[in-house]
Amino acid sequence: MPTSETAAAPLNLDLGPPKKQVVSIWVKLRAVYPFLAALAGWEVAAWYAQRRHNLGQLFPTLEDIFIRAWELVAGPLMKALQEEPSLGLLDYFYYLGQSEILLHTLATGWRLLVAFAIGSSIGVAIGILMGRYSFWESFFVPLLAVLLPIPALVWVPIATIWFGLGNHAVIIVVSFAVFIPIAFGVWTGVKTVNPIWIRAAQSMNAPKIMIFRTVVLPGSLPMIMSSLRVGMARAWRAGVAAEFFSGIDTGLSAAIFLHGQQFLDIAFMMVALAVLGGFGYGLERVLFQPIERRTLVRWGMMEAMGAQGRRA
Amino acid sequence: MPIKIQIKALRKVYDTPERKVHALENINLDIEDGEFLCLVGLSGCGKTTLLNILAGFVEITSGQILMEGKPLTEDYDKGVVFQEYALFPWRTASKNVEYGLEVRRVPVDKRQQIARELLRLVRLEEFADFYPHNLSGGMRQRVAVARALAFDPQVLLMDEPFGALDAQTREELQELTVDVWQKTRKTVVYVTHNLSEAVYLGTRVVVFLPRPGRIREILTVTLPRPREALSPEFIDIQRKLDHLIRET
Repeated sequence: MPTSETAAAPLNLDLGPPKKQVVSIWVKLRAVYPFLAALAGWEVAAWYAQRRHNLGQLFPTLEDIFIRAWELVAGPLMKALQEEPSLGLLDYFYYLGQSEILLHTLATGWRLLVAFAIGSSIGVAIGILMGRYSFWESFFVPLLAVLLPIPALVWVPIATIWFGLGNHAVIIVVSFAVFIPIAFGVWTGVKTVNPIWIRAAQSMNAPKIMIFRTVVLPGSLPMIMSSLRVGMARAWRAGVAAEFFSGIDTGLSAAIFLHGQQFLDIAFMMVALAVLGGFGYGLERVLFQPIERRTLVRWGMMEAMGAQGRRA
Repeated sequence: MPIKIQIKALRKVYDTPERKVHALENINLDIEDGEFLCLVGLSGCGKTTLLNILAGFVEITSGQILMEGKPLTEDYDKGVVFQEYALFPWRTASKNVEYGLEVRRVPVDKRQQIARELLRLVRLEEFADFYPHNLSGGMRQRVAVARALAFDPQVLLMDEPFGALDAQTREELQELTVDVWQKTRKTVVYVTHNLSEAVYLGTRVVVFLPRPGRIREILTVTLPRPREALSPEFIDIQRKLDHLIRET
């Protein structure tokens, strides 16, 4: 007698070809929505402030800000075009290069990158030293542990007194702010390289220096990368703050300070803030993410560290 | 067969402040050239310690190890396959195999050629450019075997290399290991706690007893290859080993 179980139709597990995932444009634009919401909120608030409280230019509308942004970017160009309407292509570049916001961005940018280069080189070197030699480990760990919680900004007065107002002070303070978290991160990375990799290299009689170069360095890359990120974020913050107080007149935050103090030019300040944010985000996109894609993601080391699969 | 490695009155004591552990006590063992020697025993019997000593990871307390009559130096050529996945994730399969050759400064084209041959030996030639994380566990261990053989070592030391794999993959790799051994005629020292594996692979099986780690008996397995794990003779030897490792 056939039982009901045997008579039941087998489960149809063949679901046909997998459905193609269609990602609509609206899903792709998800990251943009919060910014649109913030802009809308700003516009409403500006409108209200101007109508009810008569704040005028102290709370510019989006339109005012965009006009100001255009001025800041293309001001010299427009002026030149008025005087001489038939400019060559190179002249366009020349006058765009004269734009105020670009000058400030470049000023902040080069200081930051120089300081980051100095600070991260020192940080990586000290971190490696700490990770490899127990003497240097016990030498630096207490020192760094005390220095780490001190906000970089409080070094600015000292730096300006010792090194004078200007670029030197900013670069020194930022380098200092950068090297501490990087030294810590690299130290941890070098210390926590999977010992089985080192053993494998030893079993093949690799000399110490080769093990360091071909195993310890790539093996600690996840930690090194994340410490460079933290370092860059710290550099950005410290650099921006240090500009305020170092008597510098070019640089995004120096300009925010001056315009805010002297001209109450809120529109300018908002444009500079947007550039600050965009610059930081851009560094992440053009510097860290491509390096990670080419190394850690490709080697599967993000997953090994417990990260979920993600689209970079 | 000539003797490859001679172990004489070997003793290893782990002396920590908390306690003393006699990992190995009076080990005498002659490893023949080209044999497949399996070390079996319960956990804590010192089989892995002996392998680590042969690999140069652990220093001996007393005794002597001779390689072809001369005292063993730390940097002799040995290929080690670990239980854990020990491939370098930042190198492709082929580049992993080349590592030992880079250490020995073999020129690039020669390196690549050897890597290709060895990957063919472990039947992975079409995966040469894959990174380890794109390979299955069994494939990774095959690459590890190829890496350990690349610089033509004097001995191949394997520490439960297939312990983490599922049963089917393990059987497949055991068969492959025999094939590789027959083709290369390497001296293999293979640690396992899996008795069936030991009988399947070994020309001889060394039975260790724990506390202190010592050799109980050395069995010679003469079954013809390929060995049939379900044949009565095979099961007889397995049963005998099972009795031996449980003795106290």
